[in-house]
Amino acid sequence: MRPEPRPGPIAAILRGRGRTRRALLGDWIRVRTLANSWPALAGLAAFAAMLGLQQLIAPGTQRLLTAVFLFVALAQAWNIIGGYTGYASFGQVAFFGLGAYTVAVLMNNYHVSFWMALPAAVLVGVLFAVVIGVPLLRLRGHYFAIATLGAAEGAREVINNMTSVTGGGGGITIPTFGDQAPTPYFGKPGFYLAFLVLAALSVVVAASLARSRFGYAMVAVHEDEDAAGAVGINTTVVKVVAFGVSAAIVACAGAFYAFQQIEFYPTDVFDASFTVLMVIMVVIGGSGSVVGPLVGAVGLELLSQFLRVNLGSFNQLIFGAVIVLVVVFFPQGVVSYLRDAWRTRHFSVLDNVRRYRL
Amino acid sequence: MAQFLQAAAYGVVQGGLLGLVAVGFSLVWGIMNVVNFSHGALAVMGAYIAWLLNIRFGLDPFLAIPIVAAALFAFGYVVQRSLINLVINAPIFLTLLLTFGLSLVILNGLQLLFTADDRTIDTSYASQSFAVGAVNVPYGRLAACFLAVAITVALALMMGRTRLGHAIGATGMDRGAARLMGIRARHIYAVTFGIAAALSGVAGTMIATVGSFNPTTTPGQLTLDAFVISVLGGLGNMYGALVGGLVLGIAESIGGLLLTGTWVNAIAMAVLIVTLIIRPSGLIGKALYSGRVEV
Repeated sequence: MRPEPRPGPIAAILRGRGRTRRALLGDWIRVRTLANSWPALAGLAAFAAMLGLQQLIAPGTQRLLTAVFLFVALAQAWNIIGGYTGYASFGQVAFFGLGAYTVAVLMNNYHVSFWMALPAAVLVGVLFAVVIGVPLLRLRGHYFAIATLGAAEGAREVINNMTSVTGGGGGITIPTFGDQAPTPYFGKPGFYLAFLVLAALSVVVAASLARSRFGYAMVAVHEDEDAAGAVGINTTVVKVVAFGVSAAIVACAGAFYAFQQIEFYPTDVFDASFTVLMVIMVVIGGSGSVVGPLVGAVGLELLSQFLRVNLGSFNQLIFGAVIVLVVVFFPQGVVSYLRDAWRTRHFSVLDNVRRYRL
Repeated sequence: MAQFLQAAAYGVVQGGLLGLVAVGFSLVWGIMNVVNFSHGALAVMGAYIAWLLNIRFGLDPFLAIPIVAAALFAFGYVVQRSLINLVINAPIFLTLLLTFGLSLVILNGLQLLFTADDRTIDTSYASQSFAVGAVNVPYGRLAACFLAVAITVALALMMGRTRLGHAIGATGMDRGAARLMGIRARHIYAVTFGIAAALSGVAGTMIATVGSFNPTTTPGQLTLDAFVISVLGGLGNMYGALVGGLVLGIAESIGGLLLTGTWVNAIAMAVLIVTLIIRPSGLIGKALYSGRVEV
């Protein structure tokens, strides 16, 4: 066996220092049991079920589930930076919009195929994350939230005013028909698959990050950044990489979303309510876990669609009220509440409310 | 040159009004560490109350201010006491989400009641103006600006000179110690939020008098402006909010003169971010307190 090359600092954090890849794989196989593999197996079963379900459902339901998958990916992405690392970014929609516009500009202006534009979109998202992440991740708490919010608003204004490239406020259209189309349109079934795969990948990325050495570093930064630095974690690298991974997923989602929408405006893909929805889904599900954002995204998106169909003009009002009530009654997230309540056999919601009360 | 002076004059009167929009927001953020996403919604709520009083009873918006302020104070007090106090110790994004959900409820309620149409409070004087050389100054905006400055100064005096003001400041500096000194923190927080809501409602009334408002786009814009101004001025700093408002108002009106399209918004955001990176305590002086003890 050839000796491992000396890993760089990021690779070392990601992989664990001083262990060969084969040794790590051996460990991993040895510790597999049903007790610690069932989440992965359940996930795999759910993925297969969703694949099979596609043949059975009506186009309307397919569109609904496509939106659910989109939000699963976005919620998982936000959870990496906001939940695990503890940096509440209110500007993740910037990466969504940048991904969408990268794809649209490349496909519309340069007739690049979607599959070439997709990696470019992810690259643009990650680059922007690094550029704004290095200075902004020094800020903490509300300051970081406001700064990222400002960055997203600023990114939208820049796209809005680069009229010659992006079409500005008049929007942009991706050519999808005839000879003009660089890539044939996927159609509803195609986008169902695309977003399903994206959602599954984001869950896998989040789950494997969470269980890696890097994941523990993220949690350490969340718990106490100064202490994390003191035990030798390069907190800047951890924060920027977490921000970048999150941005990559969001940009990827934005790229697919752009192709699905065909025509859109800066106000659509830089809509701050995307960010807010990501945060709400993670918080309501339970931040800092993989299942929480998954449950939050599926539950909230289904609820909001249900309200939209059944309550007409009252839907936003009720949606707001639901947010207020869940935040007050389950401040740590529904999944986290249920898990803790199950472990401690202590189900009182009132005690739960007292947790953060003044 | 005349154009430039006109833009500067407009910027000053607009800036005073923006300062009034931001001062309550800055107060809540500085004292309670709560970023109030429903600030713009409260302003629009105040604007609707004044608008209703105007079309039903013909009440002048300046005379409606005490009623608006009282109504919004009561609303703010109840909201803080019954909702926000419940999650005040939670991670920051929970208070953000709570106030966001609250603004959804308020704004959609208002939209159901009054539709999404643009509204304005008509007065005989708001559109009149007088000329100083080549510069036109509208009466309504000037009065609104003076009122904004007067309220900000009154609030700053209240914070510095009265027992209530000292109690609010003390609770903001160290809640645990303040409670040990017999200050009822729940009540003080509720009063603080009530004051902020009242100020926001007054600002909304003024905006409705000198311009127009609606429940869909106005609140978001106001909340964002309040963010930028509070950061520029330093949190919990009353005069800072006024200075930040003037800076933003003048920069926007002169920027609008020099730049095409909405580049001026992009620049406002760049200024916000650079300020946060270089001088998070604000442009003038320092924030009300630098160290914060969480209890």
